[in-house]
Amino acid sequence: MARVIGGIGASHAPSMEHAYDAGDEVREAEEWQPLFGPFQEVAKWLEELEPDRLVVIYNDHMDEFFLNAYPTFALGVADTYPIADEGFGARPFPPLPGDAKFGWHIARSLVADEFDPTICQELEVDHGVISPLPMVDFAEGEGGWKIPIVPLAVNVILHPLPTPRRCWKLGQALRRAILSYPEDLGVVVVGTGGLSHQLTGPRFGAVQEEWDREFMRIMVEEPESLCDLTHEELILRGGTESVEVVNWLAMRGALPSNARPVVEAYYPHRIMGYGLQAYAVNGVTS
Amino acid sequence: MSELTQDYLDRLDRVQPKNLPGDLDLFDEETATRGIRLNKAAYSLKDEAQRTLFLADEERWMEQFELTDEEKGLVRRRDWIGLWRNGLSIYVMVKLSGVTDTPLPEIGRQMRESGGK
Repeated sequence: MARVIGGIGASHAPSMEHAYDAGDEVREAEEWQPLFGPFQEVAKWLEELEPDRLVVIYNDHMDEFFLNAYPTFALGVADTYPIADEGFGARPFPPLPGDAKFGWHIARSLVADEFDPTICQELEVDHGVISPLPMVDFAEGEGGWKIPIVPLAVNVILHPLPTPRRCWKLGQALRRAILSYPEDLGVVVVGTGGLSHQLTGPRFGAVQEEWDREFMRIMVEEPESLCDLTHEELILRGGTESVEVVNWLAMRGALPSNARPVVEAYYPHRIMGYGLQAYAVNGVTS
Repeated sequence: MSELTQDYLDRLDRVQPKNLPGDLDLFDEETATRGIRLNKAAYSLKDEAQRTLFLADEERWMEQFELTDEEKGLVRRRDWIGLWRNGLSIYVMVKLSGVTDTPLPEIGRQMRESGGK
């Protein structure tokens, strides 16, 4: 049977892509080391953990899904996920490998658990997936992604959004979907987005360091307490676009409560509070 | 009315933010309804052919989307605040900022000076 062997919470942002794509000189420069250094630690931890699959809970930014039919939850059931063109030409990465069979199992399990995702046989992934993923899962030079993924998209853009409690329960249902899969796979669950940022209005660029650090503490110690917050309360704390943190909450819901971070980093920089946590579970550590 | 329990009514109440200050905003029913034409237009710029058309003939590009005269004016003037106030989602706006070669800090500067909605 499949097992949940770890979790990762990570910010996603085009700025991370620009820095990554600029190469080692920029990645290793003082400006980005507070974020990219810890990402390297996560990559090393992941390499030792050797997961067979990543389930990536993220949000699309109107690159695959649009307002004509915006899904609350959408699940990939494909063997390959191309990189979306977000309006500037797609980043030069090969399509990500998927696992359609595992995706379909998760779809059936979620539906049995009264979660009803939009089921996607084709899905282009945007920076919600591929801004953090190359840092931990891409073999440069060898030219390839290492671990097949199953993407799970959450609507954090078009209100009404699924509530924080709903996203927590989604994570719990995802855990059951993984545990009930008959193949012996080690699965790491990834949640991307946040932390604080504000991209619209006069507060453009506002970063809320104090709340971000508190959020990361709560994620470790008492994640379920976040279920009591409304989106309004999340927005007041971290900014309009910070509601993406529900993707972290869903990830955390898929982990056992005693999961503990092995890598943690927080870096407030320019217009973003960048956060990173890697969780070991059940005594599985690096 | 007893089917509508207090628990249900509380949940219904909590799902829609309604007490946000004017300088924090949402993309919701009102915004999505107001912005549907602008969002459709800017979303098209995901496709390279649409970007090519935009750069070659912006007026012809705009004609595809039933934009109002006011909306066309906002696009022509690169009035990012006006576009935002008229319902263009920030995530779709970046596709228009890309094709017009507008850096995000410039949009940010206008946002900060906007005074809100």
